[in-house]
Amino acid sequence: MKIKNIIITFISAIALVLSSASISLAKVVGDKIILGAAVSLTGKYSTNGEHTKNGYNFAVERINSMGGVKVGGKTYKFDIIYYDDESNSGRAAQLAERLIKQDGVQYMLGPYSSGLTKAIAPVTEENKIPMVEANGASRSLFTKGYKYLFAVLSAANQYLEVAIDLAVEKNGGNPVKIAMAFEQDAFSQDVRIGVVEAAKRTGSKIIIDDKLPKELNDMAATLAKVKATKPDVLVVSGHSKGALTAIRQIAEMKVDVKMLAMTHCDASKLAKQHGKNSEYALCAAQWHKSLSYKDEFFGDGMQYDKEFKAQFGYAPPYQAAESSAALLVWKDAFERANSLDKDKVRDALSKTEMQTFYGNIKFSPAGQNIAKPMVLFQVRCEGDKCENKVVAPTKWAAAKLVHPIPKWSER
Amino acid sequence: MKKSNLILYGTILILGLVAPFIFPGFKLQISFLWILIVLAMTWDVQGGQMGYNTFGNILFFGVGMYLCASVQIGMFFPLAEWTEAGGEKTFVHTAPQYFQGIVFGLLLAGIIPAIIAGLIGYGILGLRGHYFAICTLGLGIAAGEIAGGIELIGAGQGMTTPPWPKNIGGTELRSQFFYYICFGLVIFTFLFLQWAYKTRFGLVLNAIRDNEDKAEAMGIYTMRYKIIGWMVSAFFVGIAGGLMGNMVGYIEPVEVAFAGPTFGVFMVLMAILGGKGTLWGPVIGATVFHLFKEGFWTFFLGWQYVALGVLIVVIVVFFPEGIMGWLREKYPEKFGEVVDEADRKAQVELK
Repeated sequence: MKIKNIIITFISAIALVLSSASISLAKVVGDKIILGAAVSLTGKYSTNGEHTKNGYNFAVERINSMGGVKVGGKTYKFDIIYYDDESNSGRAAQLAERLIKQDGVQYMLGPYSSGLTKAIAPVTEENKIPMVEANGASRSLFTKGYKYLFAVLSAANQYLEVAIDLAVEKNGGNPVKIAMAFEQDAFSQDVRIGVVEAAKRTGSKIIIDDKLPKELNDMAATLAKVKATKPDVLVVSGHSKGALTAIRQIAEMKVDVKMLAMTHCDASKLAKQHGKNSEYALCAAQWHKSLSYKDEFFGDGMQYDKEFKAQFGYAPPYQAAESSAALLVWKDAFERANSLDKDKVRDALSKTEMQTFYGNIKFSPAGQNIAKPMVLFQVRCEGDKCENKVVAPTKWAAAKLVHPIPKWSER
Repeated sequence: MKKSNLILYGTILILGLVAPFIFPGFKLQISFLWILIVLAMTWDVQGGQMGYNTFGNILFFGVGMYLCASVQIGMFFPLAEWTEAGGEKTFVHTAPQYFQGIVFGLLLAGIIPAIIAGLIGYGILGLRGHYFAICTLGLGIAAGEIAGGIELIGAGQGMTTPPWPKNIGGTELRSQFFYYICFGLVIFTFLFLQWAYKTRFGLVLNAIRDNEDKAEAMGIYTMRYKIIGWMVSAFFVGIAGGLMGNMVGYIEPVEVAFAGPTFGVFMVLMAILGGKGTLWGPVIGATVFHLFKEGFWTFFLGWQYVALGVLIVVIVVFFPEGIMGWLREKYPEKFGEVVDEADRKAQVELK
């Protein structure tokens, strides 16, 4: 039975391959502190995954070139092992395990999106590996009692609450009619919770509450309803693809609504891709370059914006900025812990209190950043050039909110 | 059993049993391999042995996953409160609860999908060829969208499976536990199918593939066999799903549970890669596929699917019958096929 021999040979070959793939404990190699990250390089989050990766790399280069990390009198440099999680949560969890068990990574960076962070968090938590994540905003991440999860960004339910408050304020303090459509994913559903709470608080009425499918390509049905019912505010959230789809179809169908509030306008480069069609869209963002925070590595937001643009050829969306901030947090924690022991570093992380170009960072016991507010900006055009202008909070407002949005017939 | 068979099975069994100790870092990946093998073998029951290309088996995978997790939680705690944020903080499974939950969960994760397969099969197994394939493709997609709308199981937020109980050993024990269940499942599935293919049941499946009308004309009630075949697949796929959910720890309706674009397609690819319609084909196919995939992921970061695509094209062009099919053509005598040289020559001359 030669065929059986072939199979036996085949199996032993596999065994050999596996055993020769040496399991290196790579938490620190020479003068390098190895961080692990699974980010989306392919799949539906690939654009934002790329921003995340660029943000990480930008900060790693900057920190390394400015003297690295000083721990116990020795200078270390950061290095990151990347894997591609394909925007798939099953894959992300598997890769987290691989990073920890096979690559021996002891310090993790987060993936892009709440869903993927939710998939990875149970793994890092079980293995007691600290993770500083910059792109998982879902509120449910911070209610599970995770001890090793630290998020530099504000929670998802805070994204568009402000927009509802603003609409009520512009309506003379009277309740408004809200139409909303959210993608079926962890992040957008959390944004929805925030809006629902804001509606309850202000006594506003939700007249359309649609769930949009993942892989969002069409929301004409929702927009047809919006045209018929004329709400005061239209809220849409579905990552970059959702933002692009919404603007495209709102322009096509000429939907008039007083306020259009969205997420992911800068990540999807809305102002560039849709130009004038995207004007007056109100967007929630974790960060904007015009904010006046500072640090020694990147200077302020304007400087970060300029240097990032010079290196990567595009303006950094907040996803890149917050990812860079995660590295600053790591560096700070290592130096304060003055140790490479993961539990000591974890304790140092929990006591973080610092300012970065991205904003103040201070973690609640649940690991959520409680020191940084969200900002709202509006897409404004001058001639053919469209830009995001901060309109709230008032401290940084660079432009006045245009409300209500002019009708399509008058544009 | 023949001696060489004994050596082969012995080697695999021993390797499987000691693998977690030789390659402790690869436990999860090998567990995934066992799951993939189960998926490929059960797909082959329809796609290979019966000639019905189904894209719907992922439905049972997802149903099994959600059922198992829901049972594990629902047996002891209110499920709705668990899936609301913060559930797993408030409710903690003790060790006995955890294991009771997983036993019942996995059982139901097998049985209920089998029943669903019976009911759906009764409705759609009358379709043939492309019509059946398209219809089953719809099943998986619809299930994902429906699951994404049910609040009780977390809707689009997804749900987490119970964490490993705290006081009985750490994550090493957890991955060993799941490793051995997966290994057990793959062995059980293999032995069951090996036995089933030898019985009249296997012959009927092949008869349906070769000529369903003729089989019916000979008095075989083909519908009954088709349904039973699908129920068998659903049973094993459901259990595999339940295990997968627990290993990943987080169930997401479209990406983890009803993952048509990944596992749903992988199971077809693996069976075809290894050689459909053979017992060993899906096993070999799944192993090769998994090894290449993991390798590509490490060495062709960001290009892994392109590399995988090239591999598939190469397979289809050079090994259209899969690895086992190619071996069978090359060494027919090893498969117990008698080649009549004179007859073969005569045929060549005729051409």
